[in-house]
Amino acid sequence: MNSEREQPTPVVELENLKVKLGRREILHGITCRLGVSGTGKAVGLLGPNGAGKSTLILTLLGFLRASAGRARILGFDCGHGMGEARSRIGYMPENDSFIGDMTAVAFVRQMAELSGLPPEAALEKAHQVLFHVGLGEARYRELRTYSLGMKQMAKLAQAIVHGPELVILDEPTNGLDPAARRRMLKLITEMKNEQGMHVLVCSHLLRDIEQVCDEAVIMKDGAIVHHCNLEEERRSNRSFVELEVSGDDGHLRAALPEIGAEGVSEGFGRWRIVLPPGVEVDALWHLVGRQQLLVRKLAHRRDTLEEIFLKAMGHLAQTPGETGVEAGPA
Amino acid sequence: MAVYKRGYRRYAGPRTGPWTRFLVLPRYAWRRLYQQRLVLLLTILAFVWPILCAGFIYLTNHAELLQGLDREFKEFIQVDGRFFSIFMYVQAGFAVFLAALAGPGLIAPDLANNALPLYFSRPLTRWSYALARLTVLVGMLSIVTWIPGLALFGLQVGLAGGEWFRANWSLGAGMVAGFFVWLLLLSLVAMASSAYVKWRVVAAAVSLAFFFILGGIAEMIDQVLRVRWGHIIDPAWVVNRVWCTLLGVEAPRGPGGWASAWAVVVMIGLLALVIERKLRPVEIVS
Repeated sequence: MNSEREQPTPVVELENLKVKLGRREILHGITCRLGVSGTGKAVGLLGPNGAGKSTLILTLLGFLRASAGRARILGFDCGHGMGEARSRIGYMPENDSFIGDMTAVAFVRQMAELSGLPPEAALEKAHQVLFHVGLGEARYRELRTYSLGMKQMAKLAQAIVHGPELVILDEPTNGLDPAARRRMLKLITEMKNEQGMHVLVCSHLLRDIEQVCDEAVIMKDGAIVHHCNLEEERRSNRSFVELEVSGDDGHLRAALPEIGAEGVSEGFGRWRIVLPPGVEVDALWHLVGRQQLLVRKLAHRRDTLEEIFLKAMGHLAQTPGETGVEAGPA
Repeated sequence: MAVYKRGYRRYAGPRTGPWTRFLVLPRYAWRRLYQQRLVLLLTILAFVWPILCAGFIYLTNHAELLQGLDREFKEFIQVDGRFFSIFMYVQAGFAVFLAALAGPGLIAPDLANNALPLYFSRPLTRWSYALARLTVLVGMLSIVTWIPGLALFGLQVGLAGGEWFRANWSLGAGMVAGFFVWLLLLSLVAMASSAYVKWRVVAAAVSLAFFFILGGIAEMIDQVLRVRWGHIIDPAWVVNRVWCTLLGVEAPRGPGGWASAWAVVVMIGLLALVIERKLRPVEIVS
């Protein structure tokens, strides 16, 4: 019992999951555990077209059956007994999904009631959530009169109206203008940080995933090719600095430990420095100033999600600057 | 506090049971259906015949009002199986048009707007969705069929007394059972046409055509082959034949009661299969 308590149930657990559509196998034995630690985590599902992202989501929702292996969501088997799990899940599909001749408030209320909210509570939550997503003034308009951005927000509203533990968002920023996109990403961040919801975001937009997610899963040809903790990646990347100075930098190596940093000189005033967690670039800037050195270049070399993605897809052999020492100046 | 000032908070209160959730779809659908004037008008018109029948029952049970009428006419106006079968024919006609009006608006909009994934991602299975839609139609058509029929039966029992009830209880049971068979068939036809045709008007036409075309084909088979079994594919005819057996009235020439009942079962099974194939959250192209 205690050991069960110590090991929290993963939001999504896949064990050698295989899914066939007709005779074609789409998912080839996927195994992973997503959203294991803590509450309110966002997991990004990335991959090119045909990678199997949508198939995985549809399998998690119980719309497709696994041909082998097992998929569990919030501890419930996705093949059987999904009734209880579904009242704890919110789903925002990629395509237009609504009832055109209903007002937004009636539509969201109906969806809330279907998820098990009593009628009065459903009505109250429908109003609240529509204000929350920015459709408060338009909540009595029929959904067919909505713009694309408003429809996306209405879809998000119906996905979270019943207060689910897990929200599955399929391409949430599709067709949104920059302002609406920012708003959508802000809402997703609030969902996990303030409401404690787990969020599974399926998108091909790397920047969106990078901005809101804590974990990223990269899929290719029906398999997971990379699973990374973005938070850790961000932390490690923040500490990696490229510095170029002019002046006598002979004492810099000895001075770096003052701020807990380590560095390697590449000659001609060029340095590669690793800052420890919690130390900002400002500290290095001040240290270099005290050494009477003139900073010619100070750059954060980041192992961006795009580089991780390209590497996982096989387009890059390695992340630039990841290992080894670059050649000196010509 | 105004709702816009409250902000959104996750719902953490009690949840409703499965039956309450099941009735959400019918509740919303009935509300929308009765907002259509044509549906409301046809429902009101459908009560004219039951009211006339009630007057007829009142007359037959008050001999003093029938004084002066000849004996043959007095024998003609009896509340028996024939009376209830005539009542059922008229109400069944209203039910056909009501189903054609209301049925296409049930599934077609959900398919056209891709709303099924939203329903099925909630605690609602495909079967409970189909059953909920069936409940909408059966519930709506019940108001103009077996409910007034049972009221007429009750009126007759009240006026004629317990002896009449003991001798004729099977009429009431047969009428309710007969109406249920008809409503089930009508509702499934309306749902199937709604599941396959996205335009409401065309879906309504298809559900009406189902009865007329199959009736026409059945008649052609009988005429061309000089047989009487062609009616087995005519849904209206086989249901009528089942009614005749249930009410104990003279049946038309053709397939017997059991054969007709089996034909109805096969039709219902086929229609259920047709609906099952269409009600999927995702369409898989092999």
